[in-house]
Amino acid sequence: MTRFLLRRLGAAIVLLLLLTLIIFVLQTISPGDPVRAYLGVNASPADIAAKRHELGLDASLPVRYLKFLLNLLHGDLGISFRTHRPVTTDLSDFLPATAELVAVAFLIAVVLAVLFALSGALRWRLTGVLRGLLLLAATAPPFLLALGGIVLFYAQLGWLPASGQGADTTSPTGILLLDSLLHGDLVQFGAAAQHLVLPAVVLAIAPAVAIGRVLRSSLDTTLTADHIRTARAKGLPELAVLRKHVARNAVGPGLSMGGLQLGFMFAGTVVVEQVFSWPGIGNYLAASIPVADFPAIAAVTLVLGAFYIGVNAVVDVLQALADPRLNA
Amino acid sequence: MNHPRRRPVTSIRRAIIAVSVPLIALAGCSSSSSSTTATANVAPTDGSLTIGLLGDIGQPPDPDIYYANNGLAIVLNTYEGLVQYKNNIDTVEIAPRLATSWTVSPDNTVYTFTLRSGVTFHDGTPFTSAAVKVAFDRRIAVKGGAAYMVAGVDSVATPDDLTAVVTLKEGNSAFLDYLASPFGPKMESPEGLTKNAGSDNAQTYLQTHDLGTGPYELSSAQTGTKYTLTQYAKYWGTISPFKTVNLPVYNDASSIQLAFDKGDVAAIVAALPSSSLPKYETSAAFSSYLLPTLQSALITLNPSKEFFATKPARTAFMQFIDQQKLVKQVLGDRSEVATTLYAKGMIPGGADRQNISYDASVFTAYAKTLPAGTAMVIGYASDNNNAQQMATILAAQVQAIGGITATAQGYPTSQVFDWANGPEKGPDAFVDGNNGPDGGSPYMWGHVFWDKSGGINYFLCDDPAVDADLNTAVKTGDTDLFVTAAQQYSAGGCYLNLSYNKDWVVAQKWLGGVAEAHNIGANELDFSVLTITK
Repeated sequence: MTRFLLRRLGAAIVLLLLLTLIIFVLQTISPGDPVRAYLGVNASPADIAAKRHELGLDASLPVRYLKFLLNLLHGDLGISFRTHRPVTTDLSDFLPATAELVAVAFLIAVVLAVLFALSGALRWRLTGVLRGLLLLAATAPPFLLALGGIVLFYAQLGWLPASGQGADTTSPTGILLLDSLLHGDLVQFGAAAQHLVLPAVVLAIAPAVAIGRVLRSSLDTTLTADHIRTARAKGLPELAVLRKHVARNAVGPGLSMGGLQLGFMFAGTVVVEQVFSWPGIGNYLAASIPVADFPAIAAVTLVLGAFYIGVNAVVDVLQALADPRLNA
Repeated sequence: MNHPRRRPVTSIRRAIIAVSVPLIALAGCSSSSSSTTATANVAPTDGSLTIGLLGDIGQPPDPDIYYANNGLAIVLNTYEGLVQYKNNIDTVEIAPRLATSWTVSPDNTVYTFTLRSGVTFHDGTPFTSAAVKVAFDRRIAVKGGAAYMVAGVDSVATPDDLTAVVTLKEGNSAFLDYLASPFGPKMESPEGLTKNAGSDNAQTYLQTHDLGTGPYELSSAQTGTKYTLTQYAKYWGTISPFKTVNLPVYNDASSIQLAFDKGDVAAIVAALPSSSLPKYETSAAFSSYLLPTLQSALITLNPSKEFFATKPARTAFMQFIDQQKLVKQVLGDRSEVATTLYAKGMIPGGADRQNISYDASVFTAYAKTLPAGTAMVIGYASDNNNAQQMATILAAQVQAIGGITATAQGYPTSQVFDWANGPEKGPDAFVDGNNGPDGGSPYMWGHVFWDKSGGINYFLCDDPAVDADLNTAVKTGDTDLFVTAAQQYSAGGCYLNLSYNKDWVVAQKWLGGVAEAHNIGANELDFSVLTITK
């Protein structure tokens, strides 16, 4: 197992290095002048040259890349050309909101996926309706789903807020649900939860269906297995059969798909955070791209890449634990 | 600088806007049978005012750094300059702010200001003439985009606490416009700057605080989420009924529009798409204001590309554009057709008349001489829907002639600014949907758009004689020379002033003083002037 873990870790580091290299090459070949964005278009050519030098943008690609890696080792991701703040400060402001959104969305996705899978496998009543609704929602582009949700639940019914995180003050951790709970502030907790509902559900729908379908297929296969028939023949109640003999055998593929979808959800925040004005890294990235704010773009890409690779590595490890043959 | 009054919009957001408009329309239709019969929202009773921001302010609200769009709402309500443009008129007129009066020497080198007494900074220290030099020095030190405005200052003398004598290195008739510009130098507490200087001239401190004298203090800055201003109790001027101003950030036009419709937002300044104009113009529930600005829609041609390498080709294309029809079709009431080369009212009497008359036949004849399938690209900034529409219409019209394969193409802001480093990388023509100078001097207009070092001469279409005339005219303020420079540049065929654009402000019915809170240069509202109407 140690060898397996080391191999996965090595592969993750190589992938991240490749990712940063690709970002640097793309920055070099892509048109755009970030210094103009930094100083304003009326800046004199001398000021632009000085700032370009100060930001290290006049150095060659290998020099800039090595400098980036060295700074990265020290936790320095540079200064954002747009906000004029250290990118690490920006990330510490925006990342918690995204983490909160993705965590809640993933939780919703898992619950919906389990319902989706069980309803189909166990032939519950109204199964068709639930599956139909979820499939319909999953086929809609996320921004359409988001706008539809806003129009219905904010504009028409007035049940839910349509934008923002719901904080009147700066939250110590940036995760409002957590902060309000720790402070026993139920009003703030309620407001934060209300603001989370629409974006989290929109973010959760497609992954829920993806995980649910895999889980359902796995359940179907397991439910028709010989040992299940034997368990039923022994007279075990259906719930006990499910809990003891089906769930553990069927959960593997769902776990794998869940890990994959969790990574995708982070990428999906770019659209959802835009529509719901959610103050996360998706929004930060979307605002940074048009002005070629390279340090910000590189940092967010790195964070998303690292998370995606990390989640997949964890899934690999869990699968290896479940099935020792994968260690070979 | 140019300050295109729209934040950069990604293709994601454009797709969102495209889909959201019909959805919002549906929502509006189902909530009331007709917008004209809708019920007005009620005024707040807690002394709070909510002005929605479309997109984050992007840069720190530091007056020496901030050089963008909607964050001016914060800068202009927390800081004040010596002068400003007069509110609620459609001409360029300098008005007092922290200076009550001023004199200018005949050679435009010495500006003497009498300062307002009884003014205090938000840290409680008094405003005196010493602050003028400190503010100018800091602007130079932090090297922001608008540092050029004080680069020509030779000295600031302070014979007494309420007199500041600014001497320039050479005459500059635009200096008062620099000071009146929304991006112009603002007065900052010298004591506060020293106390919070850190290692970056207080730049870090001013990301989340302010040191101004304005009617409001920056009480919280949650980047990307919300900004809050609190009324400054010791403000020298008008005290509004709004003790708190909330500026929540919305990231797409549909969200902010829905919040406004529900009454959660009191006003939106220059942020909604033109397609929403009819809804609010005819609504009994909301007020709609079209307020004057120094902004224009412009068309510039690229002489570095083969298509427009010759002056006759450029001139023929400019004549091909049916300005009246294009402006009316795309911009509607938000704009009026430009008849002058500078912004409206910059040159008294409209002596800077634009002498390009519509005649499609010249370009049509020229097109017939080109090899079949000759390509032509008409560019637009991808964040500007109006520019996109105009570019698309023009491309379709050119295509209809036959022989030319014309396309409209969007470019992100950073790429547009990069064309000056290599104009051959740009499109053949560029439609600028909304752009303007930092201030109301004709020099500020001519320099940024026509001088190759100006910043917004995207394709470096330059005439050294025009540059020389502008540089001479700014020293003396010679209006005739400004007109000569403009007409000479126009004759080169690179430039067409398409329309005079207006700021479209929508507000709840109960919000008063909107027009009175706006001036031609600011493109934002002075919150202290806003009121609650009965």
